[in-house]
Amino acid sequence: MARYLAMRVAQSLFTVFLIVSTVFVLVRLAPGDPAAAIGGPTATTEDLQAIREELGLVGSIPHQYWHFITGLVQGDLGLSYSFRQPALEVVLDRLPYTITLAGAAILLTALIAIPLGIFTARRANSSWDVGANIGTIAGQSMPEFWTGIMLLTLLSVVVPIFPASGFTSWSGLVLPAVTIALLQIALISRLVHREMAGNLAAPFVTVARSRGVAERALTWRYAFANSSIPVVTALGTRFAAMLNGVVVVEVVFAWPGIGSLVVRALETRDYPLIQATVLVTSLLAIGVQLLVDLLYPLFDPRVRVGKAVSR
Amino acid sequence: MTTQTQAARPSAVTADRLKSSAAALRRRASRLKIVLGAVLAGIVVVPILLANVLPLPDPLEQDLSQRRLPPLTDGHLFGTDQLGRDLLSRVLHGGQVSLTIGVLAVLVSGVVGVIAGAAAGYYGRRVDAVVSRLLEAQMSVPLLLLLLLVVALFGPSITVITLVIAFAQWPEPARLTRAMVLVEREKPYVAAARVLGLRRAAVLMRHVVPNIINQVVVVMLLLLAQAVLLESALSFLGAGVERPHPTWGRIISDGQGYITTSWWLVTLTGLVIVLLVVGVNLLGDGLRDRVSRSRAAKGESR
Repeated sequence: MARYLAMRVAQSLFTVFLIVSTVFVLVRLAPGDPAAAIGGPTATTEDLQAIREELGLVGSIPHQYWHFITGLVQGDLGLSYSFRQPALEVVLDRLPYTITLAGAAILLTALIAIPLGIFTARRANSSWDVGANIGTIAGQSMPEFWTGIMLLTLLSVVVPIFPASGFTSWSGLVLPAVTIALLQIALISRLVHREMAGNLAAPFVTVARSRGVAERALTWRYAFANSSIPVVTALGTRFAAMLNGVVVVEVVFAWPGIGSLVVRALETRDYPLIQATVLVTSLLAIGVQLLVDLLYPLFDPRVRVGKAVSR
Repeated sequence: MTTQTQAARPSAVTADRLKSSAAALRRRASRLKIVLGAVLAGIVVVPILLANVLPLPDPLEQDLSQRRLPPLTDGHLFGTDQLGRDLLSRVLHGGQVSLTIGVLAVLVSGVVGVIAGAAAGYYGRRVDAVVSRLLEAQMSVPLLLLLLLVVALFGPSITVITLVIAFAQWPEPARLTRAMVLVEREKPYVAAARVLGLRRAAVLMRHVVPNIINQVVVVMLLLLAQAVLLESALSFLGAGVERPHPTWGRIISDGQGYITTSWWLVTLTGLVIVLLVVGVNLLGDGLRDRVSRSRAAKGESR
């Protein structure tokens, strides 16, 4: 188990390293001088040189890369250009907001999508099933920025129930979380439906039913127990993806998380900040996926590492 | 299937049972999805394709005396925007940009995905290892951030946005193709073609890929819907094709500020996106059901 864990962690760190390096290369491949973009048209040659030095854009590319990597290992990604603070700190300050929003959204998704998927799967091939199918297709076809603006207008401008933007009170969490959940519910409930419909029609359920096992037990202990791994995986993957910044929704609701930070960093060409965001979010996303993998044994005894052959 | 044996002895009872059977219901459901999807998508796509022929005002022509007119006034079916431009015309021309990018992106990601997936599934070993690693790595990439970064760095041209969307989408056809080729390559006709002296690449391209391409093409429709959504999200965030081209995302993000006084800017534009994407998704989903069912039926009769 320890060996498996060590290998997975090493693999994950290597992936993060690759992603961060890719961004390093991309920034340097791009046409145009970032120093000029930051300094503006009034910058003198000395200004430009100073900006380049600060951004770590002097010297040969391998030299710059070495400088970047040594800084990275020490947790030093440079000063954010627009915040005048260490870039990493700026990102870590914003992180709790994104985690709160993503957590609320995924919780809401799980609470609605799982029962919905099970409900429609138990009525497979009925008009309920067809209706839910078309409904979820419609649900995943709505652009988040549009549903966000619509919800915002209806529920905080026309009928002022919720605050319009930002994170002033907990009720400010409701609309952004619902906006994200609407799309995720559509995606996850389709998955739950597919898994459950397959399992409910499987021979092991038919056999259990013929032995007189109650329908409720068939649904939960037989069919759902066997659907839990793909469902948990999907929820975990979605959550990990959200930690990368629920960019669109954060922008619509002026939510002070990673997503709105990213947009700002890109607008101001704040390279240290972009690098820090990429590092933190990909570390987090990979961490969550690793965690989900490690949780599998809780849900399915068959995948308990190292115990598979002990019987 | 049972249909043939039942047809030999027609009776009211069996006909009723057939009609309410699961298979019949699934067939009706997929037909409903295909028809509904085609109609919804058609309502949006046909006017977009005809946008240059229809008697519409120029999408860029400003008229400051005609600012923010509500829908259905003065021949402006969708009203006008904050600069007095005709909203319907802007939405349709924005649709041309969206559809162009969407179709091109899906073609690129489809070709790349099918080639990578087919090679991984057919050749296995090292090719498979490389492709599978790439697919895995992409799952942990902060995708939207990377896409926004690339567009910010390389400029918001149609080419860059198309390639960026194709990059986001290639894993889907690749994974699907790989999975199907893995099954297909074990079938007898592959061995037969090899015995007849065909080289491996020729077997793959001339026999294996044509056998699976139907299912992949159907999935491409679903990808087109996603591409349109992604393009509008990018342009909403400011990474859309440069001004003055109207794009859906930008019409909505510009209209956001006027939402309380001019609801139609955001609402109608968004509804057009939803109609198109729902339509394409329903069509794709219905066709996928149909293709996979006919495939299953063929498999049983063999």
